[in-house]
Amino acid sequence: MTNQNVGFKLLAAAFITFIFTAPILWMVLSAFKTINDIYAIPPVWIPDFTYLDNFKLLLSENWEFLLNSVIVTLGATALCMIFALPAAFGLVNFRFRGQEFLADWILSTRMMPPIAAAVPIFIVFNTLGMLDTLPALILVYAGFNLPFAVWVSMSFFRNIPKEVIEAARVEGCTWFQTFRLVALPLAKSGIATVATFVFIFAWNELLLSLFLTSREAKTFPVVISSFSTVTKTYWELISAATIIQILPPVIFTLLMQRHIVSGLTMGAVKN
Amino acid sequence: MGEIVLKDLRKSFGEVSIIKNINIHIEDGEFVVFVGPSGCGKSTLLRMISGLESVTSGQVIIDGADATHTKPSARGLAMVFQSYALFPHISVRDNIGFGLKIAGLPKEEIAAKVGAASKILGLDKLLDRKPRELSGGQMQRVAIGRAIVRDPNAFLFDEPLSNLDAALRVQMRIELIRLHGDLKTTMIYVTHDQVEAMTMADRIVVLQGGHVEQFATPIELYDRPVNKFVAGFIGSPKMNFLTAKPGAAGSIQIEGGPAIASPGIRPDQMTPTMTVGIRPEHLAYSHAQGDLKGKIVVEEQLGSDAFLYVEVPGIGMLTVRAVGERNYHGGEDIWLTLPPERCHVFDDKDLRIDPALHARAA
Repeated sequence: MTNQNVGFKLLAAAFITFIFTAPILWMVLSAFKTINDIYAIPPVWIPDFTYLDNFKLLLSENWEFLLNSVIVTLGATALCMIFALPAAFGLVNFRFRGQEFLADWILSTRMMPPIAAAVPIFIVFNTLGMLDTLPALILVYAGFNLPFAVWVSMSFFRNIPKEVIEAARVEGCTWFQTFRLVALPLAKSGIATVATFVFIFAWNELLLSLFLTSREAKTFPVVISSFSTVTKTYWELISAATIIQILPPVIFTLLMQRHIVSGLTMGAVKN
Repeated sequence: MGEIVLKDLRKSFGEVSIIKNINIHIEDGEFVVFVGPSGCGKSTLLRMISGLESVTSGQVIIDGADATHTKPSARGLAMVFQSYALFPHISVRDNIGFGLKIAGLPKEEIAAKVGAASKILGLDKLLDRKPRELSGGQMQRVAIGRAIVRDPNAFLFDEPLSNLDAALRVQMRIELIRLHGDLKTTMIYVTHDQVEAMTMADRIVVLQGGHVEQFATPIELYDRPVNKFVAGFIGSPKMNFLTAKPGAAGSIQIEGGPAIASPGIRPDQMTPTMTVGIRPEHLAYSHAQGDLKGKIVVEEQLGSDAFLYVEVPGIGMLTVRAVGERNYHGGEDIWLTLPPERCHVFDDKDLRIDPALHARAA
């Protein structure tokens, strides 16, 4: 490859990257502007980064909803994994009648759009007196992610050589010990991948939260959406809030990156 | 303690019957090899003994106790897999000590046993490595180490040497024989390699199509195969088979060839069609005279042996194993003779006809 060629490709890559990141960059800049600066013409390109009033105002009024989001997301991710991992392990390793049917059936529940279940779920939680509570959201998010988590985990457990599982059993392990001491450590990358996806889903979910919460259990995405009102859109607050919103998934993904990359490619070729 | 009895053992997957009514009694301390062509059910049978495969009907009895429905973990058996099946996420030390840790042994005891086993197997310098940092032979040693530390009732080997290269295979074979001599624990060993079977086993189970063709010592299998299948399976190159019928005056008439003296078989034992089997190493050959005249089609010279593939008109291809022979070459004519005392005769159902006069064919 000639140098000219490399240069052209770099330029093209930079341009495409710019197109994808421009809205986010603009949003980051807006978060440090007053509403007047945002609408100013000519635009204020570089704001005063010491201007933090947007963040201060946002967090002072909404910190509890941010906390709700953290609790719901971590809770849903943990709950989902606690149920999905043993289920996936069992579906891969146990031989029983209807095994494949059960796996397909679990997947099929994913085919329904979540919003189709919103009204029934609303009625159920209303009856149980659980509307606008964190446990309700945790249950719903974990539940909606279970089929996906089970299926993806299954593919990772399937990648563990059958003999390794059998060796553990001959060596004296119960099924649970086999799961905990052998299968889990070997499926680590896969588990990190699944957990990341569930985390991002739960963290970003808006529709069900809008439906099932009013005040107490409101999550952060609902807060962001509330800044766009019929009469006015608070762009400076939306920008600041969105930065806060995208930070955890970015950090979580960076932490898990090494595992995710090996997780996504694992099993792609026979080793 | 490691007496294993299989009683009327059967296994089917749906309609397909894999193991058909197997009855075997393996004595404590015996080295038994299951051998047979691919798909004969030898691995399935081993896995049924281990408990990894369920039993459709019949019993697995270990040391007098019915273990048919006992969990694999409770059978007191150790298994070595073809793929080694080491735990890749833990060190060699933890791999070897894994079963002991599960059994809840104190740390010092585990360390002592792992130390002793690793010394026997020459792994003492590799204990802190992960399995992926080992060669194939070392990995298989770790797998064997993991099996021996637990002091099991019996060892189950599922083609443990198949993934190793030829030289290493021979070395590990000798090590396993020595290990059996030291431990005197029952070993059940599955292989498709008849050299492994012949050299390692006290007794061999020859399996085909899910049933036992013969269960006997290696020499018995070689000298007195009970049927044509076993005769053809044991021995390399394969035994030659010639179609035959009863001849005049108690002799056996080879079709398309001469009549040979009966190797002690009475005319009333004979069936209208028979098969005469003779091992390549038992065919006598000459440049000048013999029962059959043929042409050497291919000569395979190994130095120690020469394998001569001889086309005999009216009979077909016969294999001759000529020990140390250098004087016969492709394209030449050769005379072959069938020494009657070396011939195996099988009836029209392919079962061995035993000479009535001799207790054994030589």
